[in-house]
Amino acid sequence: MKKNVFKRFAAMSLAVVMVTGLAGCSGDEATFTLDGGDPNDLPDEISLMADTIITEENGLQDFCDEYERQTGIKLSIEKPDHAKYYEKVTLSFASEEPADIIEMGSTYYPELANSGALWDMTEAWNNSTSNCKKIIDEDYVEALKINGVLYGFPMAAGNGTITYVRDDWMKEAGLSNPKNYDEFINMLRAFKARGQGTIPLTSSGFLNNGETPYDIYLREFYQDAIPDFYKDEETGKYVDGFAQPEMKEAIQRLRDAYQEGLIDAEIVTNKTSTCRDKLGSGLVGAFNYWAGMWSLKLQRSMNEGQLKPIPPIEETGGYTERVPTAFAMSIYAPNKAAIFEHFLMFSHDGGEGQMLFTHGVKDKHYTMNADGSATALPYYSDPDNTVEKAIYAPELTITEWNDPIPLDPMVKDSLEEFRKNRVFASVPIVRDAIAENLADLNVVKDVVMANAVTGKTTVDEAIDYYNTKGSYYANAILEDLNSEENLKAEEEALAGATGGSASDEEAAEE
Amino acid sequence: MANNNDNFDHVIVKKPSVGQRMFKYRYFYLMFIPVAIVLLVFYYWPMLGIRYAFSTFKLKQITLRTGPDYSIGLGNFTRLLSSDPFHAAFKNTIVLSFINLVLAMVCSVAIALLINEIQNAWGKKIVQTVLYLPHFLSWVVAASIFMLILSAGTDATGADTSNTGFINAILLQIGILDKPVDFLTESKAWPTVWYIMNRWKETGWGTIIYLAALSSISPDLYEAAEIDGAGRMKQTWYITIPSIMNTILVVFILNLAKIMNVFESVFVFYNSLVYDVSDVIQTYTYRVGIVGNDYGYSTAIGLFKSVVSLILVSASDIISKKIRGYGIV
Amino acid sequence: MKKKFNLINPQYAPRSWFVLFNTLFFVFLMAAMIIPIFKIFCDSMVNETVYGLKLIPKGFDPNTGKEVWFNTIAYKRIVTDPGLYKPFLISIYTTLMTTFLGLLISTLGAYVLIQKDMPGVKIFSYMLLFTMIFNGGLIPTFLVMKNIGLLDSLWAVMLPMSMNVYNLVLMRSFFEGIPVSLFEAAEIDGCTPMGIFVKIVLPLSKAALASIGLFFAVAAWSEYFHYVIYIKSSSKYNFQYKLRDLFQDKQEASEGTKINVNTLKSAAVIVSIVPFMFIYPFCQKYFMTGVTMGAVKE
Repeated sequence: MKKNVFKRFAAMSLAVVMVTGLAGCSGDEATFTLDGGDPNDLPDEISLMADTIITEENGLQDFCDEYERQTGIKLSIEKPDHAKYYEKVTLSFASEEPADIIEMGSTYYPELANSGALWDMTEAWNNSTSNCKKIIDEDYVEALKINGVLYGFPMAAGNGTITYVRDDWMKEAGLSNPKNYDEFINMLRAFKARGQGTIPLTSSGFLNNGETPYDIYLREFYQDAIPDFYKDEETGKYVDGFAQPEMKEAIQRLRDAYQEGLIDAEIVTNKTSTCRDKLGSGLVGAFNYWAGMWSLKLQRSMNEGQLKPIPPIEETGGYTERVPTAFAMSIYAPNKAAIFEHFLMFSHDGGEGQMLFTHGVKDKHYTMNADGSATALPYYSDPDNTVEKAIYAPELTITEWNDPIPLDPMVKDSLEEFRKNRVFASVPIVRDAIAENLADLNVVKDVVMANAVTGKTTVDEAIDYYNTKGSYYANAILEDLNSEENLKAEEEALAGATGGSASDEEAAEE
Repeated sequence: MANNNDNFDHVIVKKPSVGQRMFKYRYFYLMFIPVAIVLLVFYYWPMLGIRYAFSTFKLKQITLRTGPDYSIGLGNFTRLLSSDPFHAAFKNTIVLSFINLVLAMVCSVAIALLINEIQNAWGKKIVQTVLYLPHFLSWVVAASIFMLILSAGTDATGADTSNTGFINAILLQIGILDKPVDFLTESKAWPTVWYIMNRWKETGWGTIIYLAALSSISPDLYEAAEIDGAGRMKQTWYITIPSIMNTILVVFILNLAKIMNVFESVFVFYNSLVYDVSDVIQTYTYRVGIVGNDYGYSTAIGLFKSVVSLILVSASDIISKKIRGYGIV
Repeated sequence: MKKKFNLINPQYAPRSWFVLFNTLFFVFLMAAMIIPIFKIFCDSMVNETVYGLKLIPKGFDPNTGKEVWFNTIAYKRIVTDPGLYKPFLISIYTTLMTTFLGLLISTLGAYVLIQKDMPGVKIFSYMLLFTMIFNGGLIPTFLVMKNIGLLDSLWAVMLPMSMNVYNLVLMRSFFEGIPVSLFEAAEIDGCTPMGIFVKIVLPLSKAALASIGLFFAVAAWSEYFHYVIYIKSSSKYNFQYKLRDLFQDKQEASEGTKINVNTLKSAAVIVSIVPFMFIYPFCQKYFMTGVTMGAVKE
């Protein structure tokens, strides 16, 4: 026995010695600068990592060539697999060789910004003299500021979800758009009365799979409840929205509707794709999903029936617009100020650049008509469909420009309906205490919601469960958020930001 | 038995000296070089990263500049051990994968023995091919098939049963149930369903290794047994099983080392109503990992998992030595 | 009934009962395995989303506007997609290479490990087993790949996969079953260790080589994660990766108006199973014949 222990030890130490020998050369220091440099000092080549862009098969390379032709900068694009996109992003930072420009969704943007891996582009934006500055809707830029600092530039509007209902069923039942919660429930009851497996309302999960904003798919039921931490305007302190009485009422509403058979009984196990399948099969009466292009896709997936987006019911105070998806720049990028001007500003210039970034390459992805309008061409790999977008979705543009390719009326309608009633979500707060405790807390929240709504426990029992199991994590987060150091830092940052935008206005006047 | 082994070692050590023996086996060292290179470069070199378990290593500007901060010492481990969901996940991991492992062994060995009894060559070929098919489906596909078949329908009141899955429809038809049951959200039913899904997908594939072992048994042994008048059952019991025992044990112990790694089959199949019985360490890590790119913490979880596996494997190795006289290492 | 060591006495009634039971058992088992897969097969042809179990491979063809049997529209789409031709070749290349390297490393390693008297052999086997339990994790492994310059190279996928301790130890347990007397006899005949390896060990382990080779091949064929982590150029992605990408893309953008998403996915699943149907018969031969290991009596 003793000999065995010795041998094990010998094997391990041998391995360690060999490995240390091998690794002797690693551990060199990283090189990056936080200085933007001269905006006119053009780099020869820039790299981009993006997710929701046109694919290789459909002419990504043509896009790069055209960009080089227009700007003289060589562009290389990496488009990782969608499902593993963020793993790829963090890995690229770990290898200290991230792309210069990186697409960031709203959940990850604040996290990477907080980690210091992203370049602060506030100054570059304030000093920019580009056309973009004149035509952009500044709300979207503001939506990306964290404590007044801009770490990424919006690609397109964040968009959000809107409630779609079966118009043909509404007409059959003689209903008009529901104005309040009672009418909404009555509409679902009317759907329910159709029988034959009709699902009055479907959704996937209760808390949007742990991504903020949590409440988007079930706005009608959450109403004024916020299942997340937020700053109470009156006291200036953070509170746990999940522990507030509004949340209890929201759970009660969900529970009542579920028990009555108005909500898809499979809500806990549904994926969003399952919901879409059910809708496409003509089973679903109401479904809360993305506005814009999806209205067209959902309608096309249906063999029969007519969908229509409805305005929000009065209790909800509107639909939530997500924080926009952003192009951020890594601190390792060279000539940052120049890239900012010749890539980001160029892509929203309201002219040639914007056309390239929105619709792709002329005569490959779209063609110009005699009357100045344009028509999208079919995909290289799929002759049945026309090119939707190159990088920026045309329907979600954030600048004032005349898009030569008109939008589908259905897409336009759902977006108009959505934008009339939207409320901007704010960038999720990121703190170490949140990163450490939120995952555990979300498990508790999931369990509480699922058990209470499906009737395994009463609402009171569920709330008690949250208070005993969740309070440990919630308190740790609250303590950190409400620490003097954090509140003070936020105040200072905000004060700094207002000062910044004031001087910005002065600069604009000059 | 263990003593025997030691004595045997002892005798050999006494004969030629180490140097002589190393010379005798010089070609074998040469043959081991390719194995050693891959082993050291792709497995041992990255192991230096285990040190991050004792550090705060996050995607932070400060970390990028100065490297991980080792001042927290065992901090990641205290955080881990004080987390309630982690305790539950640890328990579930052990229970789910251990039962699954035992079921896998029993089912695969039994079916391999039965396949071996099929005399018709074509029949055997078809049976094997069909049994292996589910292995080629991904877990996502397997899980969605099971969800479809087991669905309790979309009406929570249970009155409208037009959307129920196959199983519920049958059970309602023959009157065993009067209301559809959602097997996937019932904590009592979920583990059983999960075991069945695992066996459905992997049992056939698991038989391959035993079939290969069975085909290596010398026919002479059976002929001899037949002459001695042993029946079919006796032959199976006294010849077949002992002959493949080594393979069974090796497979069992090797899989024991992987017991903590159960992930995808749970991840695509669980839901918040059954977290209490289904959340495992890897799914827990996944959720934690999504929120913060905390490499230090995730390495700590990895190290913890490894230590548990090490204990399990060492224990089974010792048991193997007790029973058979020799371990697997 | 023509088998060499058939021990059945036809008059022996319990045996007949057993055969009947065994046949029924496998018919049932095969049904249980095949029905869900048949369901996917049918889904790949219906071209609409169905709730429940529709088990008829028949569907709507948008080109003719009629319901047709064996509607292959989704398969045509997969086969004609220009992005799938090269990945398929990459898949075949990496699968063959990984299987070859994997068998080479497992047999060499296993052959060394069965040399009980060789100094250091225990250390080798501990070092191997240790890696089954401890590993450096994603980030450190990635950094090693970066340091040795294998990022964006197919070697970064093939080399780590070719060293599989599980398979190596299985191989060793097969080799241990080879009678020692065979080695001794060969040694007396003046065979070198390499000679014994090639002339005795490998030919006697066909069943093991076939089964473990199959394990390597299937693992390499269905590999996906390593490509996500280490490969950057889209010209180096394999078929599995492209299939997944295809799924994602179909969901996220350019959703076909004429082909149902679910139908396309089902067809892709079926396509990814097919290559195995070709490989398998070659391997199965070796499980069926058995190995004449009793050549030398102990």
